[in-house]
Amino acid sequence: MLTQARHSLNLLILGGTGFTGPEQVEYALARGHRVTLFNRNKTRPDFFKGRVEQLIGDLNDDVSALKGRKFDVVIDNPTTLPAWVRNAAQYLAGNIGHYIFVSTQDVYLDDSRVWADERDALKPLPAGLDPYAVAPDAARRNYGPLKAFSEREVETHYRGVNTIIRPGLIVGPLDRSDRFTYWPVRIERGGEVLAPGSPADPAQIIDARDMAEWTIRLAENRELGTFNAMGPKGLFTMAELLYGIKAITTAPATFTWVSADFLREQKISQWRNMPVWFSPEGGRAGISAKSNDRAISKGLTFRTLAVTARETLAWHHSRPEGEQQALAGGALAGISAGREAEVLAAWKARTR
Amino acid sequence: MSTSRRTFLQWTATLGGALGLGALPEIAFGESAGKAPRAKPGQPAPVPRAPRSLSILILGGTGFTGPEQVEYAIARGHRVTLFNRNKTRPDFFKGKVEQLLGDLNDDVSALKGQKFDVVIDNPTTLPAWVRNAAQHLRGNTKHYIFISTISVYPDNSHPGADETDGTTPMPPDLDPYTLVRENAGKFYGALKTFSEQEVARQYPGISTIIRPGLIVGPLDRSDRFTYWPARIARGGEVMAPGTPDDPTQFIDSRDLAEWTIRMAEAREFGTYNAVSPPMPMAAMLYGIKAVTTAGAQFTWVSADFLASQQVRGWRHMPAWVAPRGGSAGFLSRSSSRAIGKGLTFRPLAVTAKETLDWHKTRPAAEQKSLDEGAIAGISAAREAEVLAAWKARSP
Repeated sequence: MLTQARHSLNLLILGGTGFTGPEQVEYALARGHRVTLFNRNKTRPDFFKGRVEQLIGDLNDDVSALKGRKFDVVIDNPTTLPAWVRNAAQYLAGNIGHYIFVSTQDVYLDDSRVWADERDALKPLPAGLDPYAVAPDAARRNYGPLKAFSEREVETHYRGVNTIIRPGLIVGPLDRSDRFTYWPVRIERGGEVLAPGSPADPAQIIDARDMAEWTIRLAENRELGTFNAMGPKGLFTMAELLYGIKAITTAPATFTWVSADFLREQKISQWRNMPVWFSPEGGRAGISAKSNDRAISKGLTFRTLAVTARETLAWHHSRPEGEQQALAGGALAGISAGREAEVLAAWKARTR
Repeated sequence: MSTSRRTFLQWTATLGGALGLGALPEIAFGESAGKAPRAKPGQPAPVPRAPRSLSILILGGTGFTGPEQVEYAIARGHRVTLFNRNKTRPDFFKGKVEQLLGDLNDDVSALKGQKFDVVIDNPTTLPAWVRNAAQHLRGNTKHYIFISTISVYPDNSHPGADETDGTTPMPPDLDPYTLVRENAGKFYGALKTFSEQEVARQYPGISTIIRPGLIVGPLDRSDRFTYWPARIARGGEVMAPGTPDDPTQFIDSRDLAEWTIRMAEAREFGTYNAVSPPMPMAAMLYGIKAVTTAGAQFTWVSADFLASQQVRGWRHMPAWVAPRGGSAGFLSRSSSRAIGKGLTFRPLAVTAKETLDWHKTRPAAEQKSLDEGAIAGISAAREAEVLAAWKARSP
């Protein structure tokens, strides 16, 4: 059993039914807080019915359900556009004690330095882009700059009472992006596994549960400021990630490390086809090696990789057949077994 | 509850407990979000009963692998008799097994007139012990399983060597039936080899010889694997030996014990290496790191440098020997034959986590002994010295 928090908080969670949100809700309830959700009730309708107060609205449109409400803490999960912060602030500014904004490590301009911390420079908005009137296409293209501007918007409306969390790749059960799940599933299948780049290439991930639980604890402790949120503790490598996952499986799997250059030639793209991985070449040595010292000093803890991998795999086996097939085909992330075998064969046949 | 969800919960309950998942948080999975019952943590998968109950005599049975044999055999529905001095762990299985008292080195009269389906011989290190017990057991057992050792092989230069590899001859001036206990350690390979041959002579056509590699897991007091989980759980800069690709192999004592019982059930005869397929040192160390949270960082120090620092493979850097020359195949034995007869392996994460959890329950003196590298491994201070010297070396 979780221990109850010392003071019960009145929490408003924007969103709350996606991937990290449900973990925040469960943990907050277990800690004895009162939870109100504000969302469209579309992603998972009535997901927490009877356990939370549900406010219906749309950050992109009608937020009148927030009118006249007061909260100890607001956790903003869904915001990708600065206008959403501004919109909600019409009613929330002055009516809350603490605003926690879940941002992203994509706000950083420069990935060249290993163990860069939260003081690193952020991506500027492209010239001519009105941050409050962004077409969907431009929003996708400018994810990092718009998240960075959203952080500033938070500071504008909730000066001195805000917390900015910049997670890296969030993984674990409920993650439908397959951006980590690919590896446990692939390694469990066994055989020769295409591994990207070099074993020493850096890697970072954070389990959604670790992130969510720490977010609630930050609310309880009223910790303000800006925090990177990625794990594990210390530098971590692709070899540690892949062998760590292998340690929970029993099928004989071997890794063949294929160079970044060769993968490029084969149009196997980092991140999309080889999940978690970014090549650290070309001035990007720090891309998966951001400092998490500050967050750890404020209580961020990590499940073991074995637990994250085991539970992700167990969850994956419970997914609808269609989603499991999508992963097997590399539809969202990763590559298919057929394509993997082709690339491995080409790698072995290459002229040196 | 959907089938997939039920499957998931069962799966998590069986495998989760072993990984120390603890109470599964009440997390949303699918439509039953938040209302899901908690999976019962730590419940081991029920062991299915064997088709036929066997009468099994276990020689020894209270050391490291023996207790795992006893537990598994009982769970499978077999009747277990122990023969030992009742000294290692007195009355360890009292009420669960029949206990015969005696000493393979001396008085074995308690075996007189007894009949068994299977005998499992764990403790024998001297051929005389086999001969001694055979006075009463020969003709009175249908199957004799002898736990030998991978140390019967004198030549470790060939990776992938199988059971047909040459074994160790007796030194010319040594009486194979010596009762001098020091000889058991001094001529371990030769005397285990001769013990195998004694088994074949006494129980022709009905014997099984199992040659395990490094046996690891909870209850192992040798620290020859436990060093690594304990060291990595402490975090900081960990000295890793040789290269990440150097081979290692070992076997969880539970995997060995359970397979031994299944070999008894299946009446499988013959000779078998029993060890995991070779894996890179990186697979072992990074796999162990995956059950820890201290953020250990590995520094790989070359075999030559370790030798120059008098840091020895196996003794100081457990589960590792530089894979070259006469040791090129020391940790790359083939176990294909055993795998073909049903030897399976727990995930490394399970072995590592449970070994670590067990280590934390050991008496303080044993934990201190590991910290000091008294039996295997090296102390933190010595590790730091060698790492400093490694970094200061002239290139």
